[in-house]
Amino acid sequence: MDPYSAEGELINIHNHFHQGQYQEVVDYDVSTLSSENELPARVLQLRARIALGQAEDALADVTGEKEPELQAIAALAEQALGNSDKAVGIIEKLAQSAADNTTVQVVGGTVLQAAGKSEEALALLSQHQGSLDAVALIVQVHLQQNRTDLAVKEVTAARRWAQDSLLVNLAESWVGLRLGGEKYQQAFYVFEELAQAPATSSVRSLVSQAVAELHLGRTEEAQAALDQALKKEPKFAEAIANLLVLNVIAGKDTAEQRTLLEATDAQHPLLVDLAEKSDLFDKAAAKYSAKASA
Amino acid sequence: MQSASGMLTKFESKSSRAKGIAFHPKRPWILVSLHSSTIQLWDYRMGTLIDRFEEHDGPVRGVDFHKTQPLFVSGGDDYKIKVWSYQTRRCLFTLNGHLDYIRTVFFHNELPWIVSASDDQTIRIWNWQNRSLLCTMTGHNHYVMCAQFHPKDADLVVSASLDQTVRVWDISGLRKKHSAPASIYESQMNQANQQQADMFGNTDAVVKFVLEGHDRGVNWVSFHPTMPLIVSAGDDRLIKLWRMSETKAWEVDTCRGHFQNASGCLFHPHQDLILSAGEDKTIRVWDLNKRTAVHTFKRENDRFWVIAAHPEINLFAAGHDNGVMVFKLERERPASAVYQNQLFYITKEKHVKSYDLQKNVESPTLLSLKKLGSPWVPPRTLSYNPAERSVLVTSPADGGSYELINLPRDGTGAIEPTESKRGSGNSAIFVARNRFAVLNTAAQTIDIKDLQNNVTRSFKPPLGTSDIYFGGTGNLLIITPTAVHLYDVQQKKTTAELAVNGVKYVVWSNDGLYAALLSKHNVTIVTKTLEQVSTLHETIRIKSATWDDAGVLLYSTLNHVKYTLLNGDNGIVRTLDQTVYLVRVKGRNVYCLDRAAKPRILQIDPTEYRFKLALVKRNYEGMLHIIQNSSLVGQSIISYLQKKGYPEIALQFVQDPTTRFELAIECGNLEVAVEMAKQLDRPKLWTRLSAEALAHGNHSIVEMCYQKLKHFDKLSFLYLTTGDEAKLTRMAKIAEHRGDFGSRFQNALYLGEVEDRIQMFKEIDLYPLAYMTAKAHGLEDECQSILEASGLTEDQLNLPTFGEPLTPPKPLVPTYKANWPTKATSQSFFEKALLGQMEGLSLEDESAAVNGVGEEAEEDGAKRGLLGDGEEEEDAGAWDMGDDVVPEVEEGLVDVGTAEAGGAGSSEADLWARNSPLAVDHAAGGSFETAMQLLNRQVGAVNFAPLKPRFLEVYQASKTYLPASAGLPPLVNYVRRTVEESDLRKVLPIIPRDLEYLAEHDLQQGYKCMKNNKLEEGVALFKNILHSLLVNAVDSEDEVSEAKKVITAAAEYTLAMSIELERRSLGTPDAVSADPELLKRNLELAAYFTIPKIGVAHRQLALSNAMTQSMRNKNYSSALSFANRIISNGDANGALAKLLEAARRNKATCERNPHDAVEIEFDQFAEFEICAASYTPIYSGTAYEECAFDGSKYHTKYKGTVCKVCEVCEVGKHGSGLKLFA
Repeated sequence: MDPYSAEGELINIHNHFHQGQYQEVVDYDVSTLSSENELPARVLQLRARIALGQAEDALADVTGEKEPELQAIAALAEQALGNSDKAVGIIEKLAQSAADNTTVQVVGGTVLQAAGKSEEALALLSQHQGSLDAVALIVQVHLQQNRTDLAVKEVTAARRWAQDSLLVNLAESWVGLRLGGEKYQQAFYVFEELAQAPATSSVRSLVSQAVAELHLGRTEEAQAALDQALKKEPKFAEAIANLLVLNVIAGKDTAEQRTLLEATDAQHPLLVDLAEKSDLFDKAAAKYSAKASA
Repeated sequence: MQSASGMLTKFESKSSRAKGIAFHPKRPWILVSLHSSTIQLWDYRMGTLIDRFEEHDGPVRGVDFHKTQPLFVSGGDDYKIKVWSYQTRRCLFTLNGHLDYIRTVFFHNELPWIVSASDDQTIRIWNWQNRSLLCTMTGHNHYVMCAQFHPKDADLVVSASLDQTVRVWDISGLRKKHSAPASIYESQMNQANQQQADMFGNTDAVVKFVLEGHDRGVNWVSFHPTMPLIVSAGDDRLIKLWRMSETKAWEVDTCRGHFQNASGCLFHPHQDLILSAGEDKTIRVWDLNKRTAVHTFKRENDRFWVIAAHPEINLFAAGHDNGVMVFKLERERPASAVYQNQLFYITKEKHVKSYDLQKNVESPTLLSLKKLGSPWVPPRTLSYNPAERSVLVTSPADGGSYELINLPRDGTGAIEPTESKRGSGNSAIFVARNRFAVLNTAAQTIDIKDLQNNVTRSFKPPLGTSDIYFGGTGNLLIITPTAVHLYDVQQKKTTAELAVNGVKYVVWSNDGLYAALLSKHNVTIVTKTLEQVSTLHETIRIKSATWDDAGVLLYSTLNHVKYTLLNGDNGIVRTLDQTVYLVRVKGRNVYCLDRAAKPRILQIDPTEYRFKLALVKRNYEGMLHIIQNSSLVGQSIISYLQKKGYPEIALQFVQDPTTRFELAIECGNLEVAVEMAKQLDRPKLWTRLSAEALAHGNHSIVEMCYQKLKHFDKLSFLYLTTGDEAKLTRMAKIAEHRGDFGSRFQNALYLGEVEDRIQMFKEIDLYPLAYMTAKAHGLEDECQSILEASGLTEDQLNLPTFGEPLTPPKPLVPTYKANWPTKATSQSFFEKALLGQMEGLSLEDESAAVNGVGEEAEEDGAKRGLLGDGEEEEDAGAWDMGDDVVPEVEEGLVDVGTAEAGGAGSSEADLWARNSPLAVDHAAGGSFETAMQLLNRQVGAVNFAPLKPRFLEVYQASKTYLPASAGLPPLVNYVRRTVEESDLRKVLPIIPRDLEYLAEHDLQQGYKCMKNNKLEEGVALFKNILHSLLVNAVDSEDEVSEAKKVITAAAEYTLAMSIELERRSLGTPDAVSADPELLKRNLELAAYFTIPKIGVAHRQLALSNAMTQSMRNKNYSSALSFANRIISNGDANGALAKLLEAARRNKATCERNPHDAVEIEFDQFAEFEICAASYTPIYSGTAYEECAFDGSKYHTKYKGTVCKVCEVCEVGKHGSGLKLFA
């Protein structure tokens, strides 16, 4: 039986992970799990720790381990520490030896995609055997490649065999935010449901809810959700970034969020992108000038 | 019981056999006449026996309430008809005449008549007002078991007899004779005639129809209230239905089913049903139209003898061997659900309707549920899913079933649902957007189903689960008879449990933080994690509840609307004349559904609970607002406040001096206490006040109290301690005056007055003491005079040794002069507020301080120089100017469906550039080159640097960052202004600071700068507006012209402010007046400042400025023209009265000498505009160039330079015009 399914032992820890409740994952009591689920649970906990910014600890934890799962985790930790080449190296090796391992696929896919190797990531992920984690990742890769059409296909296929799963709902909502129209509202429902129930709420889902509301044009509600998120975790870069966007839309001053974002995550896509666009502007503007100077 | 779901027993009594029953038409009372000769009066709501009437001898078989009078009638086996008053609780009189047992007695609905049926084979009609027998109807040849008036038609009586017939009697003759309005004489005549007529045989009442069909005796017969139908019940175990016309009557059908004598029957007052009761211990319900059995209710041991219906409400009563039961056939609670401002409910006709709680309008029927369940069973619950606009309806029919139906967008009459999913279950509710839970009580399972009605998961709830409710997102509240469980559907486990008995309904607060659990007599408030907050008990049934937005629970009982706060404080809001089910509170309106499933609005006064809520939350402003705006008085609120420890607040409500005094003492408000004590002037109060004042250290009040109480000793001591010697002396005087030596001595001691003491001792003949006193103080002369007076010498005295004489203490601090120190008493917020001492406590405008937009004037690089000479873009002329060709769109529209292989696609942002010819959309998509190209072509934009902030702003606004998988960067999504659109060929990005925003914020801000003389800031603001509008999009052609107006205004203001700034930069006033060149320029610029088309109020400022400058430099002619313009502009809103006055004054001065001292280039009569670069006039008729964007004018020599106003466009370069709307 699939340990992540509704009846499985790992359902809760797995859901916590995907709901972004990383601390709950780390704190999860794994002592009661059956022996075959110990490793997957450990993998989840290690991934959660990396997500919490404890990549070094996680790396130390898995150093010297032989299991491909843990080696993949080592790669993920390296990636998080900025050693992208080393991480990709590990994964490429694993992809040769243990490509059928789900954890290798999922974690490897993450590492490859984070390193910008989308095609390789997709190649690795597509070998999965009914893993929703892999499906969700594939969806995200497609979306990052702006291939909404392929993402839609992937989700629709997954919905057929795993209807009630959290991951399918999430992936569908990600796609929904690209498709727009009525899908905005549906995505909003999914995120709101997660964000507002105390058992499932996390900063990530709160931010997701806020994003959906931004897309729906409901700035005040989005503001409320972001405030809620920032109250929980004041240094959550995504919350700051989206608050910045929100303030731009509302015509407010954004200097505060900008400095905050620069302080928390200088490499945030928003900042990188903006710097790039700023250069582009200057370059483009330089092509024009007045005929006469006064 | 065959169908337990149908009957709801409301009340049961235990007694001997009940033979007759009658409902009170208005009050919740039922009369029961017993075989044991007693008549009982019950309150079936409270379940209490109100009274017993025991004057009959032997069984009492018939009883009836009068419809309007406080009367009832009874008839028994003692042949007597008794008329009773239930107010005075006694029998008023007895009507004698029947010769055998009386079976039934009934009042007439309008006339003062009683009809009685008796075993003496007669039916008699009596007048209870003059206590006479009007008519005896003979014809039955066996016991008459029942006789009733027709409820509407005054001329008909129906009777049933053991002679196996039912007879309908026409009593019109009797009515004409007795009810016609008549003089006393006539009525006397009639009475005389009546005797006579009887002698000739009875023509007052004649048999109209004899109905034969029962083949045993007939026990009961009833008319239908509106239709010409009769129903009868007989010992042949049959219920027969008869119909009559004007001329004849016939049997319609028979209802077979009772297997013993049928003893009673009646028509349902509102529905097409017949109810019958029999000795087979059953009550049966029949369909009037099909004559088929609908329900059967069986009792184990009790034979039924009689059945009755309440005339108004859905209640029935049946008498049996061991008492009476009151019951309903069906639940009357309409199934309903509220979502935001929509109430969805199911009417009695089983139509789903909605009601807009904001607009107070009822929708037409959205859906008909006629086919749901059995026709006689109303749906039980309704659950609404806003995401799918669907409803989930449950019905108790067939052992419980549910149906999931989509609502149509708008109702157009009774539509049968086209598509519905159904299944069996006792409760069904939505738990998420796409999931609902179904409880099956028999199997004790809960299924979570998706909208396709497929089970997605299933689990066993706790034992004995009777109902389920929504428990917050992802949770269920599971109700068992003794507890409520909060169940996490995902984790499949109970996360919290609370022991509460018999919960029937759950009502969530609007914010989802609290829930009220309603059981029959209790309300328990819990948090969303099922922690108990408070609980309260009602003796009467609780019907429904709803939450106020502020967190107050309003609930309805059978006859009240009440409230409870979270802390358990509760009270009555209003009384109800009929049972209602609350759905929503909004201000003073309570929305509810009545039993007929009609939405109603009740008016309530929320003051009391709002006040208490404010009190609990210590929201003093709120309380103050309530105090000032409503007449909140009354003993209850005062005692409430006092009890809750807020005497100082209670004090504000009280008028009665005694209470005020008490409260004032309690809260230490001495001023009020003194005031009240003065008013009442009672020693007891002064005593209390003195004690309290002493405790406060307020000695002046203490003094006043002692004075009032004439406590001289205490006063003296008080003066001593406060050091008030003057008053102490007066006290001594008073003591002397009063002849109170003790007091006098005391005062003298306090004062240190030795002589006075000696004098006093002498006065009371205590010479030894006087001597000793004198001696001790060394007053030898005095000693001698005492000795002389007493005729003794010093030798004869045996003196003790003296110590130091006592000197009285001398005050160091004149405490008496001021009331200090006193105990600190905090003046309550209320006193301050009510005394008007609180500054700025206005409840209306609290946002005054919040001043919307801050400094919007971005440092937009307005001062940046031009960007070098770069290559010329003149060859843009090769492009077709009139056409908005979107640059660089080579391929057609992107078809997302075709691409199959991998590889990256184009992002939505890329599409914006393809979808729109507006520069702003290109900028939002990050395609800055094309955006610039467009602007260059449209308005000749060449200097883009000032637009950079706007470009980046627009670019940033349209991208959000969605955190997706862990370890990967967030997913970028694109915010659209076309929210509803999902066709990728039509989507467009959101634009921050659109026209509306700019007009409402920035523009006003700019005006404010003008008014406040902050010109640098103003210029920056207006330029920013120009830049923002240059890169923008609007929704319609109308808005385009609106935008153009704003652009022109911003340009004019920029020009005006720039001119004035230029003038100010000439130098200090002294430097300027020293240099004739500068002076001339100064005056010219001041004059030009008045030229741009800015708002009149602002123009006045410019004119005033110009006038002042001119006056100062004796340019009276110019000054005169400015003054004239100021005066002709007038003063629209009266804000510039001073200015106007100055203008008039100056005008007078100037007219005396209308000459300019300095010749300037300003012709007040010529028409001209100002060159925005040189700030010199461009006279009408001369050639000029302009900026294609903002329309500012330039001398021709400035062609090709960058516009000074917008700082972006090239002067004289004409483009295709700014495009803001595609």
